[in-house]
Amino acid sequence: MLLELKSVQKRFGGVTALRDGSLSVRAGEVHLLMGENGAGKSTLMKIVAGMQGLDSGEMLLRGQPVRFANPKEAAAAGIAMVHQESLLAPHLTVGENIFLGREDLAPFGVIRRSAIMERAARLIESHGFPLRADWRVEKLSPAGRQLVEICRAIASNASLLIFDEPTSSLSESETREVFQIVRTLKQQGAGVIYITHRLEELRTVGDHVTILRDGATVHSCPLADLSRSQLIQHMVGRDLGALYQREPIPPGKPLLELRHLQRAKILHDLSLTIRAGEIVGLAGLMGAGRTELCRAIFGIDPLDSGLILVDNQPLPLHSPRDAVSAGIALIPEDRQRTGLATQLPVGWNLTLSSLSAHSRFGILNSSLLAATESRFIDRLRIKTAGPTQKSVRLSGGNQQKIVIAKWVAQGARVFLFDEPTRGIDVGAKTEVFEVMDSLARDGAAILMVSSELPELIQIADRILVMRQGRIAGELPRHTTQEEIMALAAFEQEELSL
Amino acid sequence: MIQRLLPFATLIILFAALCFVPNFLSETNLSSVIRQTAVINTMALGMTMVIITSGIDLSVGAILAMGGLLGAMAMEKGLPIPAGIATGIATGAFCGFLNGFLTTRLKINSFIVTLGTLGIIRGLTLVISNGLPVHQIPPGFSYLGEGTLIGVPFVLWLLLACGLLVHFLLEHTKLGRYGFAIGSNPDAAFYAGIPVAFHVTSIYAICGALTGLAGMIEASRLMTGQPTAGQGYELQAIAAVVIGGGSLRGGEGSVIGTLVGAFIMGLLANGSDLLGISPYWQQAIIGAIIILAVSVDELRKRSAV
Ligand SMILES: Nc1ncnc2c1ncn2[C@@H]1O[C@H](COP(=O)(O)OP(=O)(O)OP(=O)(O)O)[C@@H](O)[C@H]1O
Ligand SMILES: [Mg+2]
Repeated sequence: MLLELKSVQKRFGGVTALRDGSLSVRAGEVHLLMGENGAGKSTLMKIVAGMQGLDSGEMLLRGQPVRFANPKEAAAAGIAMVHQESLLAPHLTVGENIFLGREDLAPFGVIRRSAIMERAARLIESHGFPLRADWRVEKLSPAGRQLVEICRAIASNASLLIFDEPTSSLSESETREVFQIVRTLKQQGAGVIYITHRLEELRTVGDHVTILRDGATVHSCPLADLSRSQLIQHMVGRDLGALYQREPIPPGKPLLELRHLQRAKILHDLSLTIRAGEIVGLAGLMGAGRTELCRAIFGIDPLDSGLILVDNQPLPLHSPRDAVSAGIALIPEDRQRTGLATQLPVGWNLTLSSLSAHSRFGILNSSLLAATESRFIDRLRIKTAGPTQKSVRLSGGNQQKIVIAKWVAQGARVFLFDEPTRGIDVGAKTEVFEVMDSLARDGAAILMVSSELPELIQIADRILVMRQGRIAGELPRHTTQEEIMALAAFEQEELSL
Repeated sequence: MIQRLLPFATLIILFAALCFVPNFLSETNLSSVIRQTAVINTMALGMTMVIITSGIDLSVGAILAMGGLLGAMAMEKGLPIPAGIATGIATGAFCGFLNGFLTTRLKINSFIVTLGTLGIIRGLTLVISNGLPVHQIPPGFSYLGEGTLIGVPFVLWLLLACGLLVHFLLEHTKLGRYGFAIGSNPDAAFYAGIPVAFHVTSIYAICGALTGLAGMIEASRLMTGQPTAGQGYELQAIAAVVIGGGSLRGGEGSVIGTLVGAFIMGLLANGSDLLGISPYWQQAIIGAIIILAVSVDELRKRSAV
């Protein structure tokens, strides 16, 4: 056995993150770690990577009991981790981040920068990632940062690699490359622990699976022995039934209209209309301009020309404030940076955008606030110790639910969901879809950006495909992934010929 | 929770220890401690709000002098005392507004902006006064800083009122809640549709107004409008906030904490005076206390839930 964890316990104050975490990983095996949001997956892996200590239980590495006081000791023992929430140094370049802490040193501790950049460039190129070694990390999208984390982990030549939701913001082609990386690592005899909520991607990489529920290991077996529904049942502890199916409703009047939006190099003559009650999917490759479109609609990035109308009223969009007062909401793809004030209590984040509705003459109505907070914690089943808990303490998926709840509480009518299910477990996904559906039924217009094509097909009334700042085409409900990919990738292949 | 009470516990222990020092418990000494700390305390309340937004105001010492001077000059010109006090407060509010306006519009770090306005305001104060203090102040004005109400220094009531006001602003209004959000993550606040610039500017203006009031208290205690008053006070105000658990990273701070922080420093200074410790040593001691307080607070944050 490469790694063995036995009955690991971990408490944070009054919260028990792990009650009985057990896991055995062999060298040359890809071990999936599954479980709902807040099940304790990341916590267990942080213990392995030396970022957190354990309260009780045993950890054996190659049969020897070990405890790591810090990530450095874990790294020295050959353990590398790709983190769920980016832990990169934002002001450094991609290359510097990949080799941070492992720089080639010339005498007197001088860093050989050019050597590092060259090695990083070669590494990036060999995997065909859309990155450059001299880009600054703060400018990268979450997907870009995730790729940097992955490069960083493979550059360490570790013998045990932990991937905590490495593909949550990646699109198809990068995801395929990540699988290739995992397979290569496996062939080289490394052990890989892989956490994901994307049930579709399991079979392509995994050998063995361990399932955590409420901080305890409930099942562990070869992946082949488990059907999809059995897997889900172990994870959520109940039968979720069939895949969520949405019944579209007849759309009402146009609520959001974009006319000839133009922004140099990013958006080109982009027009679309979304009616009340509609959920419109927006697909496209990384860099197609989907996030940029959302940002422009929300008033963050200025447009060169074009018109945005809500309810037939042209908007003066200069800042998110204008967008919010017109009833537009953005659930950003990057929750830690722009979605949440992570140091503030859960309840405060939930009501941050709706304080005006909860106050008179600027004075907050605390009983009204408390009611709203607990209502949304219940409605979205946010797993938290209570509204006063710091948001940063919640698991990734539960943080995402706070961001969504914030805008539902605000009462917006036009919702821009940018990768809304990123890092959310199966059960919670259904809950998010149900929220989207009920918003649509209440007459909201919804634009849903997602790289998870099966999901778009499942939820959207129709799917727009974006390519290089343009709408490349529109597909009806129940289209196929192949059709979407064909539209999304068409021109790029043409260019590369 | 226990560690949260640490500043409180420190204050109580300090107080208990000082009870053994002769003369400490005398009424004159206690009220002089209160009067001495009132000025820093009032400024620190405003500073708490600014620091919560992850800003800083280095110009408060200069604002204090400008407010005190203009208020004194107004009374010298024959304005009634309340109008003079209002002048001081308004002057402070205007200077604070300027700080907020510059930080939000020019999008420059508040440290730099207020470092600049510190020089500008101090310079203008000296220009206006020609470097000379203003002495022609109606005698009744001394009540503000030296008067007694129901057996307690008047400034204590004033401080209590200001403390309640700031506490209310921070905990029970949109302004305060937005302040915490902006300080904790300005991007998320902006994305949430909060009018960031407006609220930040308001908070700097409130800080300025409180500083203007502190300037009037100082003027009343000295019975002069001193253009050189308040030098180095900004650091004491910041220290009070930080000792009381405020974080320069923003998003954290409380009125109670700040008041406790300011009184700890006040008691230390007073105790050293009574024990005959030189003011030179006092500076060093207070410096050490600041570092100690902040490191204990960091430890608490790292281990807490
Ligand atoms: N530093 C912390 N302080 C307090 N509670 C914490 C802390 N870190 C994690 N928790 C709690 O421990 C539990 C497990 O969290 P963890 O991040 O391990 O979940 P997860 O399985 O990775 O979920 P997700 O799929 O959403 O990423 C959650 O209830 C979370 O709120
Ligand atoms: Mg996790």
